[in-house]
Amino acid sequence: MAEKNMTVEAASGAYVPVEGDFELLHRQDLQVDKNFASQGYWKGVFIHFFRNKRAVAGLIIITVIVALAIFGPLMSRFGYKDIVQFRNEKNKRVVAKGISPRVPWIHELLTGEKYDDSFSEYTFLFGTDDLGRDLWTRTWYGARVSLIIAFVTIFIDMLIGMSYGLISGYFGGLADNVMQRFVEVANSVPRLVIVSVLAIFMPKGMGLVIVALLLTEWIGMSKISRAEMLKIKEQEYVLASRTLGAGHAHIIFRGILPNTIGPIITQVMFSIPTAIFTEAFLSFVGVGIVLPQCSVGTLIEDGFNNITTLPYQILPPIIVLALLMLGFNFIGDGLREALAPKLEDM
Amino acid sequence: MKKTVAFLLAVLMLAACSFTSASAESDKYLGVMLSTNVMSLDTNLATDGESFEVIADCIDGLMQMDADGAAVPAIAESYDLSDDGTVYTFHLRDAKWENGADVTANDFEFAWKRIAKEAGEYAYLFDTSVGCIKNADAIIYEGADPDTLGVKALDAKTFEVTLEVPVSFFPSLMYFPTFYPINEEFYNSLEEGTYGTSPETFLSNGAFVLESYTPGTATLSVKKNESYWNADSVKLAGIKYQVVGSSDNALTAFRSNTLDVVSISGNQVAAAEKDAALASSLKVTGAGYMWYLTFSQTANNANGLLANKNLRLAITNAIDRDSLVENYVMDGSLATYTAVPPQFAASSTTGEDFSADQDRFLDYIGFDPDKAAAYFDAAKEELGQDEFTFTMIYGNNEGDEVAKVAQAIKEDLEDLLPGLTINLQPMTKAERLDKMQNDNYEVALTRWGPDYADPMTYLGMWITDNSNNYGFWSNAEYDQLIKDCTTGAYIHDYDARWAALLDAETIVMQEAVIAPLYTKANANLIAAGVQGIQFHPVALNRVYKAVVLE
Amino acid sequence: MLKYILKRIGMAALTLLIIVFLLFWLVRVMPGNPFPSERMNAVQIANKRAELGLDKPILVQFYEYMSKLLQGDFGKGTSLYNGAPIKTVLSTCVYNSFRIGGIAILFGTAVGLLLGITAALNRGKFLDGFCTVFSIIGVCVPSYVFLIFLQYNFCFKIPFFPYFFDPDNFGFSCQLPAFSLSLFTISTISRFTRNEMVEVFDSDYVHLAESKGMYGRKLVLRHVLRNALIPIVTVVAPLIVDLLTGSLVVEKIYGINGIGKLMVDAIAGEGIDYNYVLALGILYSALYIGIMLVVDLLYGVLDPRIRVAAKGEER
Repeated sequence: MAEKNMTVEAASGAYVPVEGDFELLHRQDLQVDKNFASQGYWKGVFIHFFRNKRAVAGLIIITVIVALAIFGPLMSRFGYKDIVQFRNEKNKRVVAKGISPRVPWIHELLTGEKYDDSFSEYTFLFGTDDLGRDLWTRTWYGARVSLIIAFVTIFIDMLIGMSYGLISGYFGGLADNVMQRFVEVANSVPRLVIVSVLAIFMPKGMGLVIVALLLTEWIGMSKISRAEMLKIKEQEYVLASRTLGAGHAHIIFRGILPNTIGPIITQVMFSIPTAIFTEAFLSFVGVGIVLPQCSVGTLIEDGFNNITTLPYQILPPIIVLALLMLGFNFIGDGLREALAPKLEDM
Repeated sequence: MKKTVAFLLAVLMLAACSFTSASAESDKYLGVMLSTNVMSLDTNLATDGESFEVIADCIDGLMQMDADGAAVPAIAESYDLSDDGTVYTFHLRDAKWENGADVTANDFEFAWKRIAKEAGEYAYLFDTSVGCIKNADAIIYEGADPDTLGVKALDAKTFEVTLEVPVSFFPSLMYFPTFYPINEEFYNSLEEGTYGTSPETFLSNGAFVLESYTPGTATLSVKKNESYWNADSVKLAGIKYQVVGSSDNALTAFRSNTLDVVSISGNQVAAAEKDAALASSLKVTGAGYMWYLTFSQTANNANGLLANKNLRLAITNAIDRDSLVENYVMDGSLATYTAVPPQFAASSTTGEDFSADQDRFLDYIGFDPDKAAAYFDAAKEELGQDEFTFTMIYGNNEGDEVAKVAQAIKEDLEDLLPGLTINLQPMTKAERLDKMQNDNYEVALTRWGPDYADPMTYLGMWITDNSNNYGFWSNAEYDQLIKDCTTGAYIHDYDARWAALLDAETIVMQEAVIAPLYTKANANLIAAGVQGIQFHPVALNRVYKAVVLE
Repeated sequence: MLKYILKRIGMAALTLLIIVFLLFWLVRVMPGNPFPSERMNAVQIANKRAELGLDKPILVQFYEYMSKLLQGDFGKGTSLYNGAPIKTVLSTCVYNSFRIGGIAILFGTAVGLLLGITAALNRGKFLDGFCTVFSIIGVCVPSYVFLIFLQYNFCFKIPFFPYFFDPDNFGFSCQLPAFSLSLFTISTISRFTRNEMVEVFDSDYVHLAESKGMYGRKLVLRHVLRNALIPIVTVVAPLIVDLLTGSLVVEKIYGINGIGKLMVDAIAGEGIDYNYVLALGILYSALYIGIMLVVDLLYGVLDPRIRVAAKGEER
């Protein structure tokens, strides 16, 4: 609606206020509305999004992580499941396990010495894990799995959770009652129980993890969108829209949805890491991804076993996860500001 | 806003300060780590080492273990054995229960009959495969009257046990908690199902009394029993047990002096070895149980491919056990090449460990890539296929190293036996057991701990129809040998029986019924000044009766 | 209103019944065993099953379970702490978890709101950025990693706090776990508060209030925060349930005898302990359903235009 007002103003060619016309009394940081030329909604969103430096930064972070997830494993000599080992003269196996991050030439440059173990010539940017596998490869391989989980979660949240909550809140009464009781049932069966039962019928792996997420991951989102719907549906413009004969679907998805986008995006940001750790938990109990595959979540759990003795093992996956979330948050904020037309950033 | 923050902080600090004044203990308790919760203090229901350890702190049986693990008198001052070796008469000493009642022969009779009647997990120690107590089989498996069990209180201080056949190691069973007494009067005064669920519902006659315990608790403590028959020799004021979930956490708890005795594994052992202060506290003790691979040999699984002997021999010869224990288990566990693990069963005539010679079966088991490849080629030919895919199941709640060992085995097998693919499937221990018992698995990584100090605790597993014969392997010659050793020809001749057991083990190894991997050890950290903890691989892993704090 | 609440409680009972039956059936379908044993033979196991009534048809079992349950008897464990009645075990776990979780929730909500409000008022400035980064770290680093970090530094390096939880010294030993558990709550709440308040700041009625000369604490609390509270209440509600019902790894690390560990032990421990899973499932769902009811009622209090209750009556 705000957008429409502006469009009208701009089109009529009225006096365009400039900064300095008014002086604010108490809130000096309050910004004055700026005017924009008429443009399509999505074009506007696009322009606003890319004008936002943080959003662009977020996009770059995610792009870099996606690129590394795709190409990172190729940059190391070792595959994600290769155990780096050899046999010495006595036919004893020497395994490159638990090696802290090393780049031989930098080490030599700084200390003038070589590493004094059997793997002095090897480069392990993130070190190696307990079995002697390169953590660089594994981290980026794991990032692939976790990125898939993240995107699936966004999809589940936006498609199932949001629609479910909006519909439940909009219709209220009996529909709301039945739908909310269903949520209570779905939420109350421990995930481990339901996934173990599903595992009888499905092969264990990524597919099962996604089904497990489909079962309950949308609940938080549905609660948020329902709350927003309850708040907004009583507003006058909804009534106006209804009086004008708009259908339910139109009111829900065109009239109300854009106004609920803020909390919805925030909620997505919180459900991603939750989903990533859910996957790790399921993998640990044996109904998730299959060893020796890994994910950021399982790498964090593995590193956790050695957190005080070999702390470098847990850092790469946590940092990748944090960067991923930082990127998603920046993009989310940018999107919210671009999509919700009333924010000051316009 | 700042005020509110300050207020919150102040509240926190106040809360912190008001609780710091913990009372100083005059006699220091020994802080001991448990790896899992104590499941039950009822001898009939307890199934785990942690529970047995705490029960044994508090209750004495007829016999107890000395520092070397031999059975020495406890409540029984002495015992007589009839000439045919089937009647044991135990003469009880004057000992008291915590509530002042005398420990009598009736307490044993009551407790043993109860075990037979309830027919729980360890009731099998009474039956003809182990203890051979008269009529035990009929009571446990056919529901006969428990009063027909071959035990009798001749008078308050004389307890007679009648066996079906002589059992050479019978006295050493007496230190196992299943054979401990329970005061009948006390037991009957309790509400049903509440025995052993709190200090009030539990009665000790041993070195310590239960001080604090609730089922499921993460901490419990026992304190010295002043009315113990041997109270003078107990120097410890008490023990405070703490359940610690991870090896890493245990190491820090030890370094912070929170606990005096912890067990660590994997990388934490490596870290402790590098640290001078910790290295001196490190003590590796045998944990007894052996990890091994078992293969389902029935047609239900993997088309019965694993019934092929050469295939199993190929697998068992392609596993680098030395590398497993050195690189992945890392706690001093021993690579094992025998079906009966070393260091728990010594011959009573020669004193020699049954499995001291680990090279005995080098012809059938070892790490030999060439031999493995040869066996594998033979298997390929016999089975008429070049590609094999098996799923290996293992428990995800059985210790940190299990997943590592499973992955290392996969790596070894796939590397040395091209054409073989191993898929890993973690699951809970309960599910793994369920699958194995129902013959719904291909290869499983499993373990077995000795319940008593005789090779039979392992060799008894592979007779036809035994519930632990997970391979569903059957061999008439083997069955006969084991039968002769338990109830047949060899029961009167110790050395002949010993030799027959060796023959039986040879069959298991020749056939590669199982692939032994390693015998688990515990890497313990023991605080300086703590002396005299007795570690045993069988029955009771840790005994504190002789501990001295310096 | 009272009529609505009663109606909802009635429905809650029905929902609970459905949940209990579902769980009752699912645990029996799950792979695994209620009392795994390596030493009992088939006869002994069959006898044990009969003793627990597991050989009867499931509906009969369910009927028997429910009639016991209605008398307040959760039964005994099948594989977990099998001697003790579940009520005894559960009561200590609930006591510990509720106390620690409760503190975590109160602390987390208070700090989260403060941080969120501060960030919203300082939009685009350093504090806002700090708040963003903090909340991202708070959701990315699992609470147990925080706890290990705190335990390592403040129980070992600087031995100030007790290394393990001690029920006799609750006030002192609950702080590290409660604080670690509250970090996710702080992150979530501060983020939602900040984003909601920023939106409300831009709404017409706040502009109106401002143009009337209203500003400062009164404006923030009365107009902005109150309108931002609806999504906050919505996200806090499930967090309350989650925190009260404990966290497995935190409990394991800090030696707390709590619900989270009990639940995982019941499902994936020695065996699947049917009775424990059911008892805990009932506890969890009852909490969840109850809190959802409170949330629905709170909506009406926070924004009188929302009438979940009245609507339910009308249609």
